[in-house]
Amino acid sequence: MKYRITHRTTYVYSSRVVVSHHAARLRPRDTETQRCQEFSLSFDPEPDLLTEHTDSFGNLVSCFSVQKLHKQFEVISRSLVSLTPVLQPDPLQTPPWESVAAMFRDPVAVDLLDPCQFVFGSPLLIHEMPLREFALPSFTKGRPVLAATADLCRRIYREFVFDPKATTISTPLNEVLEKKRGVCQDFAHLAIASLRAMGLPARYISGYLRTHPPAGKPRLQGVDASHAWASCFVPGFGWVDFDPTNNCFTSLDHITVAIGRDFSDVSPVRGIITGGGRHTVGVGVDVEPVVS
Amino acid sequence: MSSLFNDYQPEGFFDEVFSKSGKARPHYGAMLDSIGSLTPSDYSTRQKAVDAAFLRQGVTFTVYGDDQGTERIFPFDLMPRIIPQREWETIEAGLIQRITALNLFLNDIYHGQKIITDKAVPAELVLTASHYRPEFRGIKVPHGIYIHICGTDLVRDGKGDYYVLEDNGRCPSGASYMLENRNAMKRAFPGLLQQLPVRPVDAYGSMLRETLAHLAPSGVLDPAIVVLTPGIYNSAYFEHCYLAKQMGVPIVEGRDLILRNDRVFMRTTKGLEQVHVIYRRIDDDFLDPQVFRKDSLLGVPGIINAYRKGNVALANSIGTGVADDKAVYALVPKMIKYYLDQDPILPNVETFLGVEPKECSYILDNLDKLVVKAVNESGGYGMLMGPHASKKERAEFGERIKSNPRNYIAQPVLQLSRHPVFVDDHFEGRHIDLRPYVLCGDRVRVVPGGLTRVALKKGSLVVNSSQGGGSKDTWVLWDDPLDMPAETTPPAA
Repeated sequence: MKYRITHRTTYVYSSRVVVSHHAARLRPRDTETQRCQEFSLSFDPEPDLLTEHTDSFGNLVSCFSVQKLHKQFEVISRSLVSLTPVLQPDPLQTPPWESVAAMFRDPVAVDLLDPCQFVFGSPLLIHEMPLREFALPSFTKGRPVLAATADLCRRIYREFVFDPKATTISTPLNEVLEKKRGVCQDFAHLAIASLRAMGLPARYISGYLRTHPPAGKPRLQGVDASHAWASCFVPGFGWVDFDPTNNCFTSLDHITVAIGRDFSDVSPVRGIITGGGRHTVGVGVDVEPVVS
Repeated sequence: MSSLFNDYQPEGFFDEVFSKSGKARPHYGAMLDSIGSLTPSDYSTRQKAVDAAFLRQGVTFTVYGDDQGTERIFPFDLMPRIIPQREWETIEAGLIQRITALNLFLNDIYHGQKIITDKAVPAELVLTASHYRPEFRGIKVPHGIYIHICGTDLVRDGKGDYYVLEDNGRCPSGASYMLENRNAMKRAFPGLLQQLPVRPVDAYGSMLRETLAHLAPSGVLDPAIVVLTPGIYNSAYFEHCYLAKQMGVPIVEGRDLILRNDRVFMRTTKGLEQVHVIYRRIDDDFLDPQVFRKDSLLGVPGIINAYRKGNVALANSIGTGVADDKAVYALVPKMIKYYLDQDPILPNVETFLGVEPKECSYILDNLDKLVVKAVNESGGYGMLMGPHASKKERAEFGERIKSNPRNYIAQPVLQLSRHPVFVDDHFEGRHIDLRPYVLCGDRVRVVPGGLTRVALKKGSLVVNSSQGGGSKDTWVLWDDPLDMPAETTPPAA
């Protein structure tokens, strides 16, 4: 499966901006089942400075600064990504969740240190929330870790309403838990914090969904902008991505862009400006399958 | 002995000046001969003159969350604390060993994490330290040094043995008071310091400048150095100005700096001037809104990219707060063993970790005997003095520990050493600690002396200036005046 992706971010300012600095994580990742074959960024106006580095989670970060007066700024990323089907382990054959949690208590095996950094609280997901209570019904005694995660994913999908008006980027998780409403980012955070509350590692994935569903299939939630989902760790297999907003494991419809502990590690474009007054942001994402 | 000390009682504590038998310790002899001849009213007059001078010069400190006005003078007690050469040599060696290990540790956890993969320290403690910055892993810092300026707190117990209480590897403050205290002594007792072989501290400004200049990007011969302050409302603003003045460098706020082509420039009346080294007194969180807290107005957007590129140096580096986490503090002896294969010269205070279930239940069972501290607080905030707390306070704290054990550690209550302090018209014993300043540049140097902090409230064990503590001048007394090391020797080429 191949996709051609266009992701446009436009800032319009009410007064002129003197200097703006942006950091973007827009390049789709290379994973075992995904290859980013082409990637380019274009800008208007052209930035005076453009540099790239890889962050500690392996995401490519593009930093660009505009140092002349401007009243709007646009960055468009274009990429061509090919996907092969994700092989999922049989959830019922995965080890009991308790034994997985035990592996992440000290001393942790050297080869588990990388997933280990996703067990603890992170900038947006501090530990003191009553999430263990929320997670517990899914984590019954001895239940295989992936079966328990799938159940958690299903419960979030059933018990919560997808409502773009209910939350903002900075709505805390306990409010989401109370209102039972939110968007993909909230549901991914909820799943991640629940897994961590049980002592299990969980990662945050930002990415895209294909815009138009294959014939006869329903249109998925979250297609018009960046999407977000979560990933849990199965020892002996690796990370398994699941999407609580659509109640599924990911496969050929989900394109991974960046990986982190929570949204704060992967925000697609964040910037700091001097001047500018009020500003509005427009985001447009288009994911088209390429017919070979 | 002089009349000033006639009624003075060590009351069973380890007293810095008087031994159990009531005799003055030899290293205090010469100083007591001179000060001791004063009458109480004479002494009192000099103390008042110093207080007035501090107020006039604005040697002040801000106490947050206090109704009595925010800015106040940092109380200064005129009688100096004296450390003999033999003791100082141990302290100095211990501090150099410790800072060396801490810098190796920080370099390691921000690169290969060998100390974790070798299981010398538990992964969880390091990865959950709230000042650990995974986003900073893999970035090369100048000369591999993370902590350039460290203010390590030392205490002495009831037997007079020195212990490390905490390391301050972020933005330790107090060096300006160390310098001002010495100046005050010289004014209050003219000529006294000249007669005694006391190691000078006034080279601190040039030592600090040398340390910072050492970090400059290679090829820059005459680096531009600045002090970056959060501004006039910060509790240590006096110190930021003072140190800038001592070094002869500009003091700037975030808005005075601007990024161009991943280089940092200072706005001046003559246009933009490039800056090579920043002594920043702003916490990591506020330093660069593009990387850390987005709502920070104090920082400089893009500065981390410039740092990553090696176009500007920061002192201290990013993420050094891991070492300030009080649970990570407990691992320092292991770091010294692991990196240097040595035993610590200066021991840690025995520390129980909330995150270890067995130690946590010990803490909860012994709250009345222990000092409990939140791992990331400093300045005496967020702690419980078990023996002095009420039953209700202890119960409340117990609940907090249970709900977030990783956030707490506990230590036995040390009977900190005491020193005579002038109260009204006579001397009384008060508990003290010592914060020496360690500088890491081309070599590690310890300023001889440091800031002796005094818990001014009778019986109190909390010396922090933010909790109303005061300070003393600290003398390192050398045996042979001709043998004194010169503080200002230029580093070997």
